Amino acid sequence: MTTWTLVKRGLRFYWRTHLGVMMGAAVAAAILVGALVVGDSVRHSLKILALSRLGEVQLALAPQNRYFRAELADDLAAALNAATAPVLVLPGIAANSDGTARANRVQTLGVDERFWDLSAGKATLDGSLSDEESLQPPLIQEEVFLSERLAMQLDVRAGEEILLRVEKPNLLSRDAPLSTDADSSVAMRLLVKMIVSDLNFGRFSLQANQVAPFNAFVSLQWLQKRAGIPDRANMLLIGDSSKGKLTPAIADEMLRRYWQLADADLELRELPEQGVVELRTGTVFLDPPAALAAERAMPDAFGILTYFVNELRCGDRATPYSMVAAIDKCMDDNGKSANLIPPDMGDGEILINAWLAEDLQAKPGDTLELRYFVFGPMRKLEEQTSSFRIRSVLPTEGAAADRELTPMFPGLSDAENCRDWQPGIPIDLDKIREKDEEYWDLYRGTPKAFVTLTAGQRMWGNRFGNLTAIRYPLANYELFQRRERVGENESWKTSRLKDIEESIKRELNPASIGLFFRPVREQALKASAQGIDFGQLFLGLSFFLIVAALLLTGLLFVFGVEQRAEEVGTLLALGFPPSRVRRLLLLEGGALAIIGGLLGTGAGVWYTKTVLYALSTVWRNAIGGGAPLHYYANPSTLIVGAVAGVVSALLAIWSTLRRQGKSPARELLNSGADTASSLSMPKLAESRFGLWVALGAVVGTVVVLLLVDEDKGAMTAFFISGALLLIGGIGFSQALLAALARATAKIRLKLSNLGLRNSARRIGRSLATIGLLACGSFLIIAIGANRHNPNQDVERRSSGTGGFALFAESTLPVLRDLNSDEGREAYSIDSEDLEGVAVVPIRVHDGDDASCLNLNRAQTPRLLGIRPEELQARNAFTFVKTIPIEAGHPIEYERSASAGENPWLLLNRKENDNTVTAISDEATITWALGKKVGDTLPYIDERGNTFNIQIVGTVANSIFQGGLLISEDEFVTRFPSESGYRMFLIDAPWENVEVVSKTLSRALQDVGMEITPTAQRLAEFNAVQNTYLSIFQLLGGLALLLGSAGLGIVVLRNVMERRSELALLRAVGFERRSIRWLVLSEHCLLLLLGLASGAVAGLVAVLPALRSPGADVPYVSLTMTLLAVFSSGALWTWIATMFATRGPLLAALRNE
Amino acid sequence: MMSKTVILELINIAKCYDFPDVTETHYVLRDVTLQVTAGESVAIVGPSGSGKSTLLNIIGTLDSPTSGRVLLEGEDFSKFNDKELATIRNREIGFVFQLHHLLPQCTVLENVLVPTLVNANRFSKKETETRARRLLERVGLEWRLSHRPGQLSGGERQRVAVVRALINNPKLLLADEPTGSLDRAAADNLAQILVELNREEGVTIILVTHSLNLAERMERVLELRDGILVPQGGRA
Repeated sequence: MTTWTLVKRGLRFYWRTHLGVMMGAAVAAAILVGALVVGDSVRHSLKILALSRLGEVQLALAPQNRYFRAELADDLAAALNAATAPVLVLPGIAANSDGTARANRVQTLGVDERFWDLSAGKATLDGSLSDEESLQPPLIQEEVFLSERLAMQLDVRAGEEILLRVEKPNLLSRDAPLSTDADSSVAMRLLVKMIVSDLNFGRFSLQANQVAPFNAFVSLQWLQKRAGIPDRANMLLIGDSSKGKLTPAIADEMLRRYWQLADADLELRELPEQGVVELRTGTVFLDPPAALAAERAMPDAFGILTYFVNELRCGDRATPYSMVAAIDKCMDDNGKSANLIPPDMGDGEILINAWLAEDLQAKPGDTLELRYFVFGPMRKLEEQTSSFRIRSVLPTEGAAADRELTPMFPGLSDAENCRDWQPGIPIDLDKIREKDEEYWDLYRGTPKAFVTLTAGQRMWGNRFGNLTAIRYPLANYELFQRRERVGENESWKTSRLKDIEESIKRELNPASIGLFFRPVREQALKASAQGIDFGQLFLGLSFFLIVAALLLTGLLFVFGVEQRAEEVGTLLALGFPPSRVRRLLLLEGGALAIIGGLLGTGAGVWYTKTVLYALSTVWRNAIGGGAPLHYYANPSTLIVGAVAGVVSALLAIWSTLRRQGKSPARELLNSGADTASSLSMPKLAESRFGLWVALGAVVGTVVVLLLVDEDKGAMTAFFISGALLLIGGIGFSQALLAALARATAKIRLKLSNLGLRNSARRIGRSLATIGLLACGSFLIIAIGANRHNPNQDVERRSSGTGGFALFAESTLPVLRDLNSDEGREAYSIDSEDLEGVAVVPIRVHDGDDASCLNLNRAQTPRLLGIRPEELQARNAFTFVKTIPIEAGHPIEYERSASAGENPWLLLNRKENDNTVTAISDEATITWALGKKVGDTLPYIDERGNTFNIQIVGTVANSIFQGGLLISEDEFVTRFPSESGYRMFLIDAPWENVEVVSKTLSRALQDVGMEITPTAQRLAEFNAVQNTYLSIFQLLGGLALLLGSAGLGIVVLRNVMERRSELALLRAVGFERRSIRWLVLSEHCLLLLLGLASGAVAGLVAVLPALRSPGADVPYVSLTMTLLAVFSSGALWTWIATMFATRGPLLAALRNE
Repeated sequence: MMSKTVILELINIAKCYDFPDVTETHYVLRDVTLQVTAGESVAIVGPSGSGKSTLLNIIGTLDSPTSGRVLLEGEDFSKFNDKELATIRNREIGFVFQLHHLLPQCTVLENVLVPTLVNANRFSKKETETRARRLLERVGLEWRLSHRPGQLSGGERQRVAVVRALINNPKLLLADEPTGSLDRAAADNLAQILVELNREEGVTIILVTHSLNLAERMERVLELRDGILVPQGGRA
């Protein structure tokens, strides 16, 4: 005989009682393990997605609107000893051959076999693809591979045709002055050769979004040709290196060594006639970092800015459409000017050529007026005028007849005649005279006038640059020196060009023009690893269920132990110290907890699979609807879950055992007869304690609500108040029960007050029941009140729609102002169809989707450039929080618009040169980015400079989920080459929304405009939250079920304990029905107290949520749910009562 | 003749209870004084509610007196803490209750051995088991060793309880209405066993009973009347 024998005997003998305890422990462990393994599975699935979308790609170079040489990939492959692939990525719009299905935002990828070599075929985690499977047939022209999602969207299969329209790259940004928006896309009819699986680069994307992109793969060479940029690419992928781990620093270092000026769209050429070497660019305007580096490269460099002016006027005579060059002053060593701008020329002076002087009958000293367009946002043209004094007239020859001063303006430079001009500005061809055509024939775009560079930049400088060329003069003395040394003119030329090129390359960091590598694989793994932790989420959602299971475990165990009171008494009488008795029972409980934990771990696996299945089907919205989820359990997670389950159950059991063995042995030995008599009357102090708790809670609530400014901390304050009231409610119940016990003891005994007296009989047990029900109803109300109805108040500016009726996104940028007649005409929209319609355009810099539709942690969220005044004027959206206007702590704003403050203008606040202020949706900031108001996150602009984005405000439950709003001014400064607008908020008359939507969709079909009602967009986001709430509600419901079962057990136990007492009532003549009614009524009091405490506290806690935009409190269903809980509790009580009072009650009396 | 050693001494034991809303204190025991010598058998009789069980519980350290002292072999119980009292209960005192209080999950032999678990090192396992078997044989239950209490008759259960009380070789055996729930034959049998064990094992027995038949088999019979212990038939 050993202690363990005793434990084993106990386990075996009381197996029926223990079964319940074990099941409770198993349920708790299963939920715990399940929640944690769901987390593992989601993380694992995201990792699979990340690896399948990136395959073996480690690093990527993906500059903004810059097209480098595709051969750069070969150079770097050799240098890094790594697989590389050049890719040309262009946005596109696809449709099936009969136009019945369309897909916008198609990622068109020009690839060759090097791309497929990097695919996931070799990189999948489970190795399910063989190398053979990963091999792709070669793509030839007019053939396309489609990703599964795109093929499904277009409803096409291999062998069918599709239409694909892709953006035609324009080296000069379409927002830039003189840029044309004609010929902005190219359409292709393509044969679908193959559908590429998700695992084999079908999901290829650099962005950490789990929704698969629409990918169309075409031949690289063919796409380069069709897009008009042969041998160019705009994405370079690098795979593993055999030399070890590749880092962006290593790759960037190699890039600096191997890059060429052509990769930055720079060209260096010698102009012998002008005696200069000239640096120019295909983008017309030299990028400011490139220009700066080029100026530094050689000391005698001078810049040129040539611009197209609408008119040159002198008095009443005018010459239309001419080029004017602004040239930097440059002096040689002799102090003479190295170009045609005299050293002493003032910024108000202008030189004109003889042709112009003759045309205008102008002479030195006359005033010459220049009229020219400058570009505002939305390609808005503004004609400006500047006046100059004519300094001198130059003969139209030599330096003054240098046609190379004019860059290759698209639509101008390559025209045969002036009448063929197609510049990106409106020109009146009627103004062009015969003599203008003659000048064009003779001199082409040779500038007719010259000003200082300072004057030119003041007039025509823009965000794309303020130089069109930089020249390096071939000074004579250098020429002679070099000739003597080198001895041969040609060699010298080569040497000089090379010198300058090397010098420019030395000065210019490719990263400053967007040529830098990103560790995309590392970022992807980080995004998946730091993604939404479903483990924690489900733990949170299941908390109540776990607590209920543990309560049940503890309750069943303690009842089991109470049934064995006599045994405990015997052991105490035999000399077992109480601690030893408790240890014995704990050993038994421990064995049960371990068995339950092990069973629960097994059940947890099954539970996980069920949850994953639900997440892929009925709860699809919770994961953004996109990603398939795979079951994966980390062994350590299983162990942690199982141990946590066992420990929790043990704690639950231990907490119930603390009181065991404390009763004297003699009482325990007589427990069968004396349980009832051992219960004593609650003392006055006990009843007062409950009252003090209740009073304290009420006072605390009042204090919290009075102290906290409603404008600033309403949500927290109300929640604290709710929690206080919950505690207060339980305290009040305790006081009430104690008072009832005392009061009814003094009044004449009746069956009705016997019931009340019984409620107070075991106050601890009754309070546990009240607490469980109060928490349950509190949660039900809290969940219900947080549901959002996207259709509620959508017309209000303060709602999550901002009062906008429609939300639109385009695949290709919209360059024109859709609010203006000209803009609408450009897209053939009849202004009458858009009467009362106003559009707020938003610039978009693509990045990770930071909305709740993306489970990954967004590393580089999407940036949206907006004019804050547009939202400020409309007082749109409701702010949750902003940083204070003055320094200090963040403040909370009233969650309604009535506060009158709408701090959108915070977006214009300039903290410092390196910080940009941003506003976004509260959920995006909190959950997707893990930030709060006042925090900053680093971001890299298109020139490779890191800047900080400071969150200055959050708006509530809005359509802005997923991106960060910054001011348009900052946007264009940081991303100058992002042309046009790709997101739109549309105000439209509510009765006319459908017509407006159709009109715009049709008119903007070629730019892939996708228009959705704002309420629908909001609904998609709310669906995620509402699904979480549904899960919570379901798990909470299960918990309440367990709670109700617990209540049933309490009732059963109570009644069983009092069987003899009830038998006595029967013996003295009470009917069985009356006895049942007595039992039921006393437990209904507990039910009512529990529900009322929870409901009142819950309503107070969620008051702010009730007032938030879109709040849709389902009062009817809430009331029904609470009634259902009450009914369920009453049902369990009834069942327990029936069970306990069935059979011959009088036998219980005889057993006495 | 050598005087026998006093094993138990009760000095002016009183026990009272306070009830809420009742101003007067209720005395169950007023002034109980008693000396019991080693090997003696004493029966305490008295009407229901006279405090017999309370007195036995005080002697058995299951309860403590309001005033007065209990000395076992000259050691005052009031000097010991709960843990030490539990040890005394386990080593020096054996209990037999009106209800047997056997553990239903254990066999007869295991039930007997339960008290040995408290201090497993005191006797060797073999030694205790041999003793258990011998005592069970002594009470005629050698063929019931692996039976559960549910399979025994009332008298048999009570005999197991007696053996359990003796397993740790106590100096004092306390029995509270040991025959109270038995029929006459079983009661007689148990009474005989107690008398024999008292003689053979030399254990001091104090029992409380309503049964005069049982009481008369003890060497001394005392009556508890109005909270005071007097020889049977004597005056309080």
